[in-house]
Amino acid sequence: MVKVRLKGLKKYFERVKAVNNIDLEIKPGEFVVLLGPSGCGKTTLLRCVSGLERVTAGRVFFDNDDMTYLSPKDRNISMVFQNYAVWPHMTVDSNIAFPLRVKKYSQKEIKKRVVWAAKLLGIDSLLDRYPAQLSGGQRQRVAVARAIVMEPKVLLMDEPLSNLDALLRVRMRTEIKKLQENLKVTTIYVTHDQVEAMTMGDRIAVMEQGILQQFGSSDEIYHNPVNTFVAGFIGSPQMNFIEVEIVSQNKVLYLRTKGLVIPLLDKFKDKVSKLSDKRNYILGIRPEHIYITGRAQTDQVSSTKGKVYFAELLRSDTVIHLEKEFGFLVVKTPGDLKVKEDKELEVLFDLLRIHLFDKDTGKAIF
Amino acid sequence: MEKQRIPIILKIKQMVTIIIAGLIVIWFLTPLVLITISAFALPEDYYQIEKVIHFTINQFKALFFELEAWKAILTSIKVAGLTMLLSFVIGLPAGYALSRYIFPGKNFLKLLCLATRMFPLMVLAIPLLIIFMKIGVSDTIWGVALAHTAMVLPMIILISSSILSSISVDYEEAAMIFGLSRIQAFFRITLQLALPGLAASAIFAFIISWNEVFVATILTLTNRTLPAHILSTAMASPDYYKFTAGFIMAVPAMVFIFFVRRHLVTMWGISLK
Repeated sequence: MVKVRLKGLKKYFERVKAVNNIDLEIKPGEFVVLLGPSGCGKTTLLRCVSGLERVTAGRVFFDNDDMTYLSPKDRNISMVFQNYAVWPHMTVDSNIAFPLRVKKYSQKEIKKRVVWAAKLLGIDSLLDRYPAQLSGGQRQRVAVARAIVMEPKVLLMDEPLSNLDALLRVRMRTEIKKLQENLKVTTIYVTHDQVEAMTMGDRIAVMEQGILQQFGSSDEIYHNPVNTFVAGFIGSPQMNFIEVEIVSQNKVLYLRTKGLVIPLLDKFKDKVSKLSDKRNYILGIRPEHIYITGRAQTDQVSSTKGKVYFAELLRSDTVIHLEKEFGFLVVKTPGDLKVKEDKELEVLFDLLRIHLFDKDTGKAIF
Repeated sequence: MEKQRIPIILKIKQMVTIIIAGLIVIWFLTPLVLITISAFALPEDYYQIEKVIHFTINQFKALFFELEAWKAILTSIKVAGLTMLLSFVIGLPAGYALSRYIFPGKNFLKLLCLATRMFPLMVLAIPLLIIFMKIGVSDTIWGVALAHTAMVLPMIILISSSILSSISVDYEEAAMIFGLSRIQAFFRITLQLALPGLAASAIFAFIISWNEVFVATILTLTNRTLPAHILSTAMASPDYYKFTAGFIMAVPAMVFIFFVRRHLVTMWGISLK
């Protein structure tokens, strides 16, 4: 188990700043997910850690060893590639044994470890096959077995599940997470899938445009997003963003826009009263934190009405799109709820769960 | 069970396709059949080709031994082998660079490779001979091989770059992660995967050199390759010798195409996988 430390890491491609000044410290044995939309630089960051990409500036440390300019083979890492990269001209057995053979392990040791890794991934019956004879899921397992067979210091995974079908993806998600917990290897996992990130990561690093937006546990990232990007990227359906201004009436502060007035709880007062500008803010609230009358989980709510424009009946949930003066308000309710389109509906905002962002910077105020 | 009816228009389309394919095949095969028959025909039957029933290999014997074609074949093999070797030693690294790296002037360089084919050999041959005479490689195997390498090299560069491009970089990078250097990864992973296609293009280089006649004729006098030799000997002989010579020239190329036709598709940049 090693600690991975990235210090001021930069990687520019000509004028594109793929990775822009990233500082990150990953604890020994931790499972960290790099999450972000495609093109945000997460894969480039991973490749900088692996050594496949030479950094423009900054340093990479494993514990206290400077790895920045070491070639990949000298870093004692392993990697699972998005399209597996299982060598087609070698059998499963040779594929898994390859890292050990290169490192000149004894024949006995190689055999022992290959069988151990293959059993762990449930592919011990496929050892003498060629990759072309395997399904996508099996190839994926070979890639993972190859990656863990020599017990690397750091395990890197580049969207390893994105080429699998939906069902298999869910199963592999659990398996990889369990495997990592058992092996206790420091892992960096790249994905654009927030569900993967939320379920697998001990901590999640959300990236956008080469910049680290937020690094924290899934709980922190879900409940306390630092800006509109993180707030909007995490959660499905997406958080509602409503432009509001702050008004004060009878010593109570309100967030107001056309057709909506939300009173602020006392706990937010301090942060808001400090603000000089009273306009140009964005109210954020997740669809699951807006309730239907009679189903609120708290009494600290504020109601508003709107016409049902469309209801997505997912059966497990119902996602309602309400027509409001400021646009659509998306509300997630339990699936048993019957709603008719074009009908007026009263919904309740959970006042504890609202967020406020600065419109210009996108930064969270609370 | 009732027989399923195929619409008449589909049947017609199928027929037309078959007929067109048939015509193309006949177009290409007829000369080959004629050459083959003529090559083995008795001299007295030769001018009535439809009546040929007796065959002989006398012309072959005469060509090989009296006209010393066997020496020329040996020279040809040496030249073609050298051409193959030289063009790969230079062309493979170049192809690798073109396929794996992005650098300024890359597309221009690719274009330049093709541009070398723009100049007619007739224009280049005489200056080439003079230069070769000055550096002392005229009328040697090396001289011809060098000239042939220059002809083949652009194609080997482009072909090998296209073959290497069809092999995912991930295979190589995976090898680098799991303990190999870039060069080791190239030899142990990429080259292994590229081998069928590269072998095909190697034979391609061989065949081009084997068939090349103009440069070989101009640059040599005593060390003539087979085509140059045939040009100066068999072409001055009776007609049936010419066909025998043509047969000897054509067969290696045909055998080559037969064996590597599957890999040829990969060579031209369309990956089969």
